[in-house]
Parts: sequence; structure tokens; C-alpha cells
Amino acid sequence: MTTLTINGKQHEVELDESMPLLWAIRDLLGYTGTKFGCGIGFCGACTVHVDGKVMRSCVTPVSAVKDKSVTTIEGIAHDGKLHPVQEAWARGDVPQCGYCQSGQIMAAVALLQENPNPSDDEIREKMVNYCRCGTYLQIFAAVKEAAKLQGGSA
Amino acid sequence: MSRIVNVSMSRRQFLGLGAAGAGVFVLGMSLPLGNKFARAAVNNSGDGTLNAFIAIREDGGVIFQNTFIEMGQGTYTSIPAIVAEELDITMDVITVEQAPHGPEYKIMFNNTARFTGGSNSVRSSYDTMRKAGATARQMLIEAAAKEWNVPAGECTTEPGYVLHNASGKKAGYGDLAPLAATLQAPAEVKLKDPADFRLLGKPVGRTDSLAKATGTAEFGIDVQVDGMLHAAVKQCPVFGGKVKSFDASKVMDMPGVVAVEEIPDGVAVIADHYWNAKQALEKLPVEFDNGSNASFSSAAYLEKLQSRLDDTGITAEAEGDVITALANAAKTISADYHVPFLAHATLEPMNCTALVETDRCTVWAPNQGADFVAGVTKDITGLPLEAIDVQTPFLGGGFGRRFIMDYTAQAVTLANKHKGTPIKVIWTREEDTQHDFYRPMTAARHRAGFDKKGNLVAHHITNVGEGPMGRLNPGFLENPKIDSTVLEGVEKQPYAVPNKRLDYVHETVAPVPIGYWRSVAHSVNGFIKESFMDELAHAVNADPVEFRRGLLTDAPRYKKVLDTVVKMANWKTGTRKVDGNDRAMGVALHESFGTLVAQIADVSIEDGEVTVHDVWCSVDCGFAINPAIVTMQMESGIAYGLSAALAEEISMKDGKVDQANFNSYPILPPQKMPQVHVQIINSGEALGGIGEPGTPPIAPAVCNALFTLTGQRIRSLPLSRYTFT
Repeated sequence: MTTLTINGKQHEVELDESMPLLWAIRDLLGYTGTKFGCGIGFCGACTVHVDGKVMRSCVTPVSAVKDKSVTTIEGIAHDGKLHPVQEAWARGDVPQCGYCQSGQIMAAVALLQENPNPSDDEIREKMVNYCRCGTYLQIFAAVKEAAKLQGGSA
Repeated sequence: MSRIVNVSMSRRQFLGLGAAGAGVFVLGMSLPLGNKFARAAVNNSGDGTLNAFIAIREDGGVIFQNTFIEMGQGTYTSIPAIVAEELDITMDVITVEQAPHGPEYKIMFNNTARFTGGSNSVRSSYDTMRKAGATARQMLIEAAAKEWNVPAGECTTEPGYVLHNASGKKAGYGDLAPLAATLQAPAEVKLKDPADFRLLGKPVGRTDSLAKATGTAEFGIDVQVDGMLHAAVKQCPVFGGKVKSFDASKVMDMPGVVAVEEIPDGVAVIADHYWNAKQALEKLPVEFDNGSNASFSSAAYLEKLQSRLDDTGITAEAEGDVITALANAAKTISADYHVPFLAHATLEPMNCTALVETDRCTVWAPNQGADFVAGVTKDITGLPLEAIDVQTPFLGGGFGRRFIMDYTAQAVTLANKHKGTPIKVIWTREEDTQHDFYRPMTAARHRAGFDKKGNLVAHHITNVGEGPMGRLNPGFLENPKIDSTVLEGVEKQPYAVPNKRLDYVHETVAPVPIGYWRSVAHSVNGFIKESFMDELAHAVNADPVEFRRGLLTDAPRYKKVLDTVVKMANWKTGTRKVDGNDRAMGVALHESFGTLVAQIADVSIEDGEVTVHDVWCSVDCGFAINPAIVTMQMESGIAYGLSAALAEEISMKDGKVDQANFNSYPILPPQKMPQVHVQIINSGEALGGIGEPGTPPIAPAVCNALFTLTGQRIRSLPLSRYTFT
């Protein structure tokens, strides 16, 4: 049995620890908000946090995270209240098809944890996940908006 | 946590129960007369689901059965907003569901078709959806009038309520729905005066944003069904090849493996979950019979296309005498162009889940047409269409890929062999890239002639290739010999040229699977035609904008779109310095799917890389029923077209695709996204589409800027094949 801590909850799962975290959380634990896009850590649709840092779960074996705390898109809203990044995303109507957006949101949450008031250039540099619908401009704007909602900037 | 899909009750059954009196009012709306399905509907009027778009719950919630799928383009907002406008409800009471398959939901093209594509959703259903909403509103009014014993004509509505002002009576739609459901639908209803629109023409918020911001939006790949197994598939890498043999015994002992099966063109390993299935598949010894296509190469096909550029083929359009005009011209120009195969690269790879039981079947398939899913399922299982339940989740991108049911056939084939067990098939990115239905490679020759005064007097175009419609849906072609999905975008052009001719030379690309790629041949011809127009302008030392304006004397609508973008961009000819670097603008103007779009791109070369800083975009789609979505679709179309122009290319050697994942098929990264500025022109002309028309103009706008910047004329894509300094 392997113990995985997902969104603050401990799960006992039986698996081969070489399994990528992505498939463990999606198929074994049912957290399907995290998406499969490429399987080679390129597109970022599978982005989660491991101990607060962004991680591409499709190329991260379970063995690398079993003593760590994993956060998925399902774990960032608290007490029935959306995370400011989610609020900025929903209010700004950022998603089109929406498939990449869980990963985008997780990337944005991590970016704002590191830097609550990023400049336009920093946002462009740090938000590296792919979006095939081309919602990039809306993503950049929503990161700014989320920073405001979090109180990072006026 | 996980949501288990309830398979015991389909939407069809749910609506049926609702109509039987479970507190849901289902509106049966007659289709226009004279249609074979309308007659069928009348004959089956006992079935409460026939032609049902709208159901009203007792609490006033409205369930809307959408015939169009949501793949990002906004149909889960724009279509219900049309209904909400006429029904007189607010958007927040609507729950959008995907309608089941069946003739009652074929509301396109005189009730003969139902699919999501061709930028058709709003424009093909606008009248029908308005009528659906208005009919339901009228029935609610009549129910209230009956209950209050007042003339219906004295009743009005406000969102969610019927009012009788004289008596001060007011009732919610939810309370009136049960009585309204028993009334005859009015044969005719009055539609709103557009001047009174509350929702249409306004930037109504998307209905799917919250679900997509919280990870709860369900895509096909997320479907979970009790007892479900997972399948990983490997198809013969060579197009048209087959499985020769495989040795299942080598992997049956691997963790979780349940079965190894042959599927059309490949093999599948079924396991308890996806990772185990994929691990075993990688270890499975498989031998393929490559068949007769193992020597195909895209380079050789291109040579074949180019060798036929002087063929006459079939003349699709002709005005004047182009041959004589070219022979007598004071100046002639000829240019050969070509474009590569392209993949759709939806971010959600192909996937499908199916459960086949002895007398029924449920298929969860991301699709661009529920009837296509039902059709392929019927063929495989032998079940009647009535026994097939198609569930359509959100699509993680479509762009034309999910018309083709290859992945659906795989899941249904496996589920048919394992009756009673739901099976989910997920493709790897590599399978997705190497087994797409590609935007076809096309070659074209454009020739033009000027008279002594520099007037354009002749334009002769030859397109060589094969289009997806001729391959996949030949019945849709107006002329079976001329594939409009090779020629669209150079047909019916607005530029005034006295002598012109358009020739089509069919050169099949069998065995390569070809399909509809966002904007189809407009993506090909928009690039070629607008680049060539730029060549012509430079040939007579004219400003590219003025040159086009001069040819648009009889096309004021086009001229307005062009003039709008010129003003937005503060158009400048030639190069200029910005932050110490040379910059140049390029322009393109293109109509597709009934919508006119002009774009100006501002471009520089930064460390050898093509950098697009700003794109100005003017768009005339007649009437933007949701200007926010129109703007987003322009941005999206530009991103998609720019992505292809910069670096996308599918090439083939030995019958196989060379590219496999995003490291070899690079799609537009965020850092390459230009600023986009959109201006909408509500011309009042017929509604045009919106999902695709943003795509065709961007490649020529960028390439025309590159010519000004570097003197290098781009006659093939992608730009990653060129070196810029």
C-alpha cells in the first residue's frame, strides 16, 4: 500500500509506484479535474502542486511524491469559496474548450504564491502551459485580476 | 471526488418521464411543415420528447436540450441565449444539456442534418431557436390566461413570470408549466423586435466558465462508469495497414490486464486502469502488415501536385477570356504556392467510452454530431438506433477532428466483445498525432496580368489536390466533380477582375486520411490568395491596402471591413523602427462561412524568430449575437492560424507520419501570442459563422508583413522552414 496525500486527505492505494501521479489521481482516486494532454511533460494540462510547487503529473512517478503533499484543482477552493484565481477565471470567461484550464489555474496559483504582484512580462514568462484554443490573452488578464482579488496589487 | 455517471436513465428517458408528469414541462415544438421528419413527428406525437428543446421544472429552472456541442466556441451560451431572449428568462435559470441523437434534433439545412461545424451553429438555428423560445412563452401566457380567466392578449411577461397588469396577477413559469404542457402549441408566434433584445447583441457571460474553472466540467476522458475498464490502443503506423499477428500471452500476466483484442487497424489492451493497459501495450509483441502504402511520402506527393499545376482539370469558374487576356497583358506574374498537411491537435486526445448490453448500448463520445456516433454504433452492434444512447460531454477541442468516428468505433467494438462491461479507450498523444484526418496538402498556381496602365485584367488560378468533402461526404458536393473543399476561399471572390478563371485538378492523396480542419480550404486559399494579392500590389508599386480597395469598387461590405482594420491599426506601409528593431505591417482580407474578416499583423524578426506583436481584426458577421464570444473566437482563430503558419507541419515517409508529440508538432505557446484587437461591424447582413473565419487571414497578414520586412516572399508554410535575419 502506498499513502498519497491529495488535497490534505490521505489515500491508501495499491499501485506500482512507477505509475505517473496523473493516472493515480485520475483513475485510482477519481480526481479528474487534472488532464492528460501529451504524456511527456510538454503541454502542462496535467499541472498539479507538490508541496506548493508546480509539477507536471504525467511525468512524475508516484514514488517521487508519496511523502509529499499534492494539491489538485479540486483542492484550491476552501470553505465553499472559490480560490481568487478561479474567481478571476470564471468571471473573466477565460475558458473556451476548457481542457487546459485546470493546469493553467494551478500554474497561476503557484505563480501568485511566489509573486503576489507579477508584472506583465513575468506573467508571460511564467505561464507556459499550452492552450489550443488560444485563450492566452485572457489567461494573462485573469492572472492580473486574480492578483488584485488576492490583494497583491491595487 | 469522482462523479459516477448514472447509466440507468438516459436523457431521453428522463424527458419521457418528465412529460408523463414528474414536474417537468416539455415543450413539443413542430418543425416547419413539408419536411419528412415533421410528418414523422406528427405521427409520433405520443412521445413527449419529439422536437423537445425546452423543459421547465417546477422551481422555474429551464432545461435546454442543445443540438450543438460545446468545444470552446460558445454554443452552450449563444444558443440558449437565443431561446432565453424569446422565452423571457434569465440565463442563470438555464441548464444546458446535449440533446440525444435522432431525427427530431436535425434542425439544420431544412431539417436534414445535425452536426457542429462549418461555423453553422448560430446561423443555422437562429430562427428555430427563437421560435422555440417564443412558442414556449406563448404557451405559458395562455396557461396563465386560462387560470386567471383573462384574455391572453392582456398578459405579458418579465423574466421567469407571466403578468396580468390589470388585475396585478403574477405567476412563475414553474407554476404555469404543468398546465402549459397540456396546451396545443400555437402555429404561429410573434418574435421580439430586435430593438427590445435584452440578451442578444450583448456580451452574455458563458454558462460553462465556472465548471471549467473548478475542474468539474466533464470531458469524455473524465467519464466514469461503475465497473469500467480502460483500453490503450496501437494502430498500424502505416496508413491502411493491418495487424498481422500479436502474442497476447506475453502480457496477460502483467498487472491489471484483462484482455488483448484486435480492433480495426490495430490492437487494444484492456486493463483495470489506463496506465496498466498502456504498460502492457508497450510490451505486447505486434506484427503489422503494412499493406500497399508503405512507400508513400508527402514529399513525393507534393512533387506530383506541382507537376500538375499546368493541367486544366475542370474549370469551376470563368469570366471573360483569361488566356487571351494573359497573352495580351503588358505585365504578367505567376507564382506557385503550397501548404502542408496539418493535424488538429485537440488538447484532449481522442477517447470514447462504451457499454454494450444485450438489448441496449450507451456511448460517451466527445463528438461533433451525435447521429454519427449512433450510426457507427448501430453498424457495429446491430442494435436499432432507438436502443443506442449517445452521451456527449464537453469536448477538449474539436476543430473538425471529432466528426470522424474512428475512435468511437474502437470503443464500441471492444465493448461489443465484452458485453456488460463499460470500456474507455484513450489514445496517447502519439496515436492522436499519427492517426488524425489531416488538413490536406494542396498546391496552387496563381497567374495575373496587368494592362499598360497597371490595371489588373486577368487572374487565373489552378488548385491541385483532394478535399475532405469529396473523400468523406461526396453527397454534399454541389457538383460531384468539383471539390468545394479544395476551392473555397478562391471561389466567388469580391475583387473586380474582368478576366478570371479557377481550375480544379483532382490529385488524390489516398491513402492519407484527410478531414475538416478549422476553416477547411479557407485556411489554404486565404493564405495563397491574399499573399498573391500582396505580390500583385508590390508588382505595380501600389500600397497593398489601396490596391485591394481599388478592386473592391463593387463590394462595399468588404471595403468597410478593410477600411475599419486599416483605421484600427493606423496602417503603415514599409518598415519602421520600434524599440530599435524593424517592424512591418501586413494585411489580409477574407470571407469565409458568411463572415468577412480583415486582419493587420505587426511583425518583426527577433533573434531570427518571427515575432507577431499585434493583430488588428475587423469582423462583419452580420449581427454579433454575443460580441464577447465573437471577440474570443477571433482571438482563438488567430491563435490557431498563427500556430499553423509558424511551425505546424505533418510530413510522411514510408507511409507513416514523422511527427508524434508536441515536441515534433509544436503548437502555439503562450509566449508567441500577439496582442489582438477586435472590432465588430454589425452590418445587418445575413448571419455569418464565427468559429472559423478568424483563422484564414492571419497567415497571409503575417507573411505579407515578412515580405515588407525581409524582401522574402513566403509561398509555402510553415515559417519554421525559412531562415530570417
